[in-house]
Amino acid sequence: MASQIEKKLTPSRILIYATLLLACVAYLIPVFIMIITSFKTTGDIRSGNLISFPEVWSFEAWAKAWSTACTGVQCNGVSGFFWNSIKMAVPAVLISTALGAINGYVLSKWRFRGSDIFFSLLLFGCFLPFQVILLPMAATLGKMGLANTTTGLVIVHVVYGVAFTTLFFRNFYVGVPDALIKAARLDGAGFVTIFVRILLPMSVPIIMVCFIWQFTQIWNDFLFGVVFASGDSQPITVGLNNLVNTSTGVKEYNVDMAAAMIAALPTLVVYVLAGKYFIRGLTSGAVKG
Amino acid sequence: MAQLQLKGIRKTYGNAVQETLKGIDINIESGEFLILVGPSGCGKSTLMNSIAGLETVTEGSILIDGRDVTNAEPKDRDIAMVFQSYALYPTMTVRENIAFGLKIRRMPKEEIDAEVERVAKLLQIEPLLDRKPSQLSGGQQQRVAMGRALARRPKLYLFDEPLSNLDAKLRVEMRTEIKRLHQRLGTTIVYVTHDQIEAMTLADRIAVIKDGELLQLGSPKEIYERPSCRYVASFIGSPAMSFIPLTVESDGGNLRASLRSADGEQIYVPLPETLAAYEGKEIHLGIRPEHITQPLAHKAGQEATSSGKFRIEVTEPTGPDVMALIKINDTEVHCRLDPDHTVDPGEPAELMIDLSRAVYFEAGKEARIDI
Repeated sequence: MASQIEKKLTPSRILIYATLLLACVAYLIPVFIMIITSFKTTGDIRSGNLISFPEVWSFEAWAKAWSTACTGVQCNGVSGFFWNSIKMAVPAVLISTALGAINGYVLSKWRFRGSDIFFSLLLFGCFLPFQVILLPMAATLGKMGLANTTTGLVIVHVVYGVAFTTLFFRNFYVGVPDALIKAARLDGAGFVTIFVRILLPMSVPIIMVCFIWQFTQIWNDFLFGVVFASGDSQPITVGLNNLVNTSTGVKEYNVDMAAAMIAALPTLVVYVLAGKYFIRGLTSGAVKG
Repeated sequence: MAQLQLKGIRKTYGNAVQETLKGIDINIESGEFLILVGPSGCGKSTLMNSIAGLETVTEGSILIDGRDVTNAEPKDRDIAMVFQSYALYPTMTVRENIAFGLKIRRMPKEEIDAEVERVAKLLQIEPLLDRKPSQLSGGQQQRVAMGRALARRPKLYLFDEPLSNLDAKLRVEMRTEIKRLHQRLGTTIVYVTHDQIEAMTLADRIAVIKDGELLQLGSPKEIYERPSCRYVASFIGSPAMSFIPLTVESDGGNLRASLRSADGEQIYVPLPETLAAYEGKEIHLGIRPEHITQPLAHKAGQEATSSGKFRIEVTEPTGPDVMALIKINDTEVHCRLDPDHTVDPGEPAELMIDLSRAVYFEAGKEARIDI
C-alpha cells in the first residue's frame, strides 16, 4: 500500500529529496576532501586544487600516519594509540552494556521500594557534563592506584556509560509484557534464568544500540583520554591531536588526514555493521510488540 | 488434580485505603471447574495472581491439598497458568516453549520429548512444533499456551481470561475445546472471565465477585435461577433480567400485583404467599426475558402464568429468537419471542408472563427476598 502512494513524484516530494541531497553533500564534502587529500603526495597538495583528485594515488601518508609520523617527541605513528583505544573501548563497551542490561532488567521487572527514585537519580548521569567530574575522578583513580592506566579509563567510561545503557535497557524491557515474566516464574525460572533465557535473546536490537552508542562515545572521547591517561595508555583521539599539533618542518596535510581517517574508521565500521538495529532499537520501546 | 482452599483472603495494595480483596472464602474440590466472574477491577485477577503466588496476600491463607502455600514461591505451588496475552516466549519455538518448564525442573530429555509429543497430539499442534510464536495465529498461540500449561501436569490450572483476545467464532470453538479437555483430564481449574456466557457454559461452580467481595458462589443453574442479589441477577444473563416495581396487594387472601402496560391496560398477576410480609409495600419483581413470551399453549392455565396486551417498543431479531422491548409499570422490560410469531413495533401484542421462576427484591435493597 505504501509503495503505491509514494511512487508519485509530487513537487513537495522533489523538494524533500533536494533538501536531503543538499544535506548529504554538505556532510560528505569534508569526508571526500579528507579521503582524497590522504591519498595525495605532499607535492600534489602544494601544487594542486583542494578538491581535485590525486595525480598519483599514494598510500604513503597512510603508512606514515600509522607507523612513523611524529606525535610529540616519539615518531611511531598512531598505531600504538589505536590499540590503546581498542583496549579501552572494547571492555568498556561490553561491561557498560552488561551492567545496563542487568540494571534495566531489575528496574523494569523486579521493582523494589524506591526503584523509580533510583532510576531518576541514575538518569542525572546522562546530563552531567564531563568537566564536572574531572577533579573528583582524578582523585579517586589516584587513590585506587589506577591513574594513567587503561583500566582506569575503562572504569571512568563504564561509570559514565551505565546511566545511558540502563536508560536504554530499562525502556526496552518496560515494553516487554509482564505476563512473560509471570509465565516464566510459574514455569520455575528464577531471576537469572528469566534474564538469560527469556529476556536476553529478545534484546539483540537494544544490545546493538548500546554497542553503537557506547562505542562511539568512548572511542571519540578526548577529554577523559587527555586527563586520565598518559604516555603509553593514551587513546587515539589524543594521539591524533598530538600528531596534528607536532610542528617539525612542513605541515603534512596528507598524513594528518590519513591519521584522522584511521581514528574515524572504527566507529564508521560499527555503524555500518550494526546500523540497521540502531533506528529499530531506538524506536522499539515505543510500540508494543 | 488437587483441592484448593481459599480462607479469608484479603489484599490491600501498598498504601491504598481501599481493600482490593475483602475476605474471600472458597473451597474448590478436586477436579472442579471454578469460574471467577465479575466486572473489570473487581479483584478477580488479583485473586488469581494470589493463588499463583505472583502477588502476596495481606491476610488469609491458601491451601493446596491441605498444604499451606500462602507464602510459597510460584514454582513451589505446582500451578500452571494460561494468560490472556498467551505470554509465549517469543524467541523460542513452540517445542521449546512447551519444554521450558520441564527443562527447568530437570526432567530427562527423553521424557521431555515424550511429554511434548503427548501434549502436541492432545491439542493438535504437532505441525506447529518448530515454529516461532510470531508465526502462529491467535488460536494457535492459545493452544500452545494451553500446551505449555498441560505439559507440566500441575495440580492446579489457572486460566486468566484466556479467550478474550480471540474473535467470536474461535472463542466459541476454544470454549468447547477447554470444556472437552476438562472432562477428559478431570483437572482442577480456576478460570477468570468477565464473559458471563463463558462462565455459564464452562463452570461447575461460578463465583461472582464485585468490589473485592464474593457475592455468590454456586452452580450456574443456582446463579441463574436464584441470584443472591440484584447485582448477580443483572450480571448473569443476556439480555439482563428486568426489574419491575410493583405493589403487593391482597385480594381475598391471595396476594397479587397489578402490571400496567404503556397503553394503560392493567392485568393482575398472582404473587407467592411468602410475600405476605410485604403487603401494601413496593417490591421489585425480577423476571428474565424468556419468561415473557408469546402465548404458549402448554403453559396456558398454569397457576403462575398470566396474559395481557403490551405495546412492543422495539424488536431485535437474533435468529433463534426475537428480543422485544415492552414497558410495564413505566419500566423497560425485555421479552423473548419466537421469530415465527410476528409482532410489529408500536403495536400491542398478546404476551404471556410466567412468574414461576421470578425473583423478588425489596425496593432499594440489594439482597433477594427469600421465598
